[in-house]
Amino acid sequence: MKILIIEDEEGLRESIEEYFTEAGNVCETAGNYATALTKINLYRYDCILLDITLPGGNGMDILKSLKENNYPDGVLIISAKNSLDDRLDGLNLGADDYLVKPFHLSELKARVSAIIRRKTFNGSNQLIFNEINIDLLAKEVKVGKLPVKLTRKEYALLLYFLANKGKVVSKNAIAEHLWGDGIDMANNFDFIYSHIKNIRKKLVEAGCNDYIQAAYGMGYKFTEQ
Amino acid sequence: MKLISRYNRVNLITTIVVMLITGAVYYQAISWILTRQKDKDLRDEEQEIFDYVTLNHHLPQTFQTTDEQITFTEASPATVNREFVDTTYFKQWDKDDGPHHRRHHYGRGKGEYEPGRGLITSVTVGDKYYKVLIVESTVETEDLIRLIFTITIGVILLLLLILVITNRLILKRLWQPFYDIMKELRLFNIADARKIPKLETTIDEFGELNDAVVDMADKAKHDYKDLKTFTENASHELLTPIAVINSKLDTLIQTENFSERQSKILNDLYGAVSRLNRLNQSLLLLVKIGNHLLHERKQMNLKLLVEDMIAQFEEIYQDRDIRLTYNLTNKEIYANAYLAEILLSNLLTNAIRHNFTGGRIIITLTENSLTVQNTGDETSLNDEKIFARFHKSSSSEGSGLGLTISKEICESFGFSLNYSFSERFHTFTVVF
Repeated sequence: MKILIIEDEEGLRESIEEYFTEAGNVCETAGNYATALTKINLYRYDCILLDITLPGGNGMDILKSLKENNYPDGVLIISAKNSLDDRLDGLNLGADDYLVKPFHLSELKARVSAIIRRKTFNGSNQLIFNEINIDLLAKEVKVGKLPVKLTRKEYALLLYFLANKGKVVSKNAIAEHLWGDGIDMANNFDFIYSHIKNIRKKLVEAGCNDYIQAAYGMGYKFTEQ
Repeated sequence: MKLISRYNRVNLITTIVVMLITGAVYYQAISWILTRQKDKDLRDEEQEIFDYVTLNHHLPQTFQTTDEQITFTEASPATVNREFVDTTYFKQWDKDDGPHHRRHHYGRGKGEYEPGRGLITSVTVGDKYYKVLIVESTVETEDLIRLIFTITIGVILLLLLILVITNRLILKRLWQPFYDIMKELRLFNIADARKIPKLETTIDEFGELNDAVVDMADKAKHDYKDLKTFTENASHELLTPIAVINSKLDTLIQTENFSERQSKILNDLYGAVSRLNRLNQSLLLLVKIGNHLLHERKQMNLKLLVEDMIAQFEEIYQDRDIRLTYNLTNKEIYANAYLAEILLSNLLTNAIRHNFTGGRIIITLTENSLTVQNTGDETSLNDEKIFARFHKSSSSEGSGLGLTISKEICESFGFSLNYSFSERFHTFTVVF
């Protein structure tokens, strides 16, 4: 995957770059409008992370330029503005998704994965990881040939883990992904523990390896080892 | 007391006092003039007597007319001082005074006493000295005075009546601008976009008052807007550093190999950052509600929305063994979907957070209201303070803005949000 990160805040840009850089991924960055515009006109990316407020220009203009040139790059807007108008403007201009700052890197990764999945696997809606086979259209999970019945949230959690393979995903990130920003239970994430326990049990019972590991009481990690 | 009534009262009292004084002065003046007139008549009469005596050297025959009597009495010389006196005049009945009076002809007092004006003087005929008393009836004068006085009183009453009527009619109209301004002030809402209109009035005082009110309102609104802009900007500026901290934490935990102590610290950091973030989002949301920025509304089925929300929180309340029961009827509302969702989420989150393990939550949706009841503390909350910003129970981990936001959302929808406590249930009711 080739990803372009257009973000003027250095700390954030570096974190994203570090999180996305892994085997098979190439990350490029742009810290201002001019650099960003040059890069999108020179190279093609699977996904562009686009900040709206940039030194030297507006991110929306970069989006317009992309669409005018019919470049097929996926675009995920990351903005501090949580207004419906901005969101609608971005999506109407052809952005694939809109994520409001601040966000968890795992959430960003999950959104980018979803965009790339939609772009790359045209027609095919299968997501395969070892023995786990997910039909994204029917929202069905199979381990080998054996169907596993997951609840809506368990299914979402499995996809989230798969998008963040090998990463430690914090409990906060999981809670916010599954229960939304409004989740206000910082003092008590026990319910996540029982949730994870359920999904592990279901997968293992269907003959799947136990890929989910607890990580130091801070979160969980979906890993092959 | 109304200004008009106070003004009327003062006006009335002054008018009556002034009129009475005028009446008295008037009365005195008229009686003085008329008395002088009478006195002049009496002097003429006296002169006539003197002329007669000088010419004829004997007293004139005493005669009577209807309004004049002259009597002569012998007196020792130089005992009479010439003077004018107020006296009585005995009026004899005339023979043809009519049947009404004739009855009295056979009685002793054939007449009646009337007020009179007399002149006591003296005349010397030959060597005899006489005291002369000339009396004229003043009954006509008195009648005249009475008539004048009646007319005066009549005029006073008429004037008062006219005053009262004018006050009623004209003052009310005159003060109308004042009442208009009062009405505008009462309707004034600092968060509202509506301005106080400029008043069309020809009266300077009201014009000035209106200008002052308009200026004050504009300034208040301007300051309020500044404050809101500040809050909004401050919250926006906070977003980026929070985003950086958040992403750095996410990056940090990837480095692995943490001791238990380190992971505890990281967990606390996560918790604090997420609280900071929620607090900031809540402030931004409050500003947005206050600025009416979330104005897109649509028709929604509240029942479906509540059911979705219950499903959304299912794992959380089940994890604490909270028994949630609900009874929902179909109810359509026309509102902002995003705000409606936040409202429901806040109410439900509160009901779960302030509950105890094994507690209960009851949600009831009727045509008129949505009620969320939960068990929890055994004591009632202070229903005046709970909706205030940053008011929260000591054990609460929330932002302290949840109920404030809920209340403001309800108000922006035209609903009301109330709290009550009975039979161990804390009850929040949204009345549509």
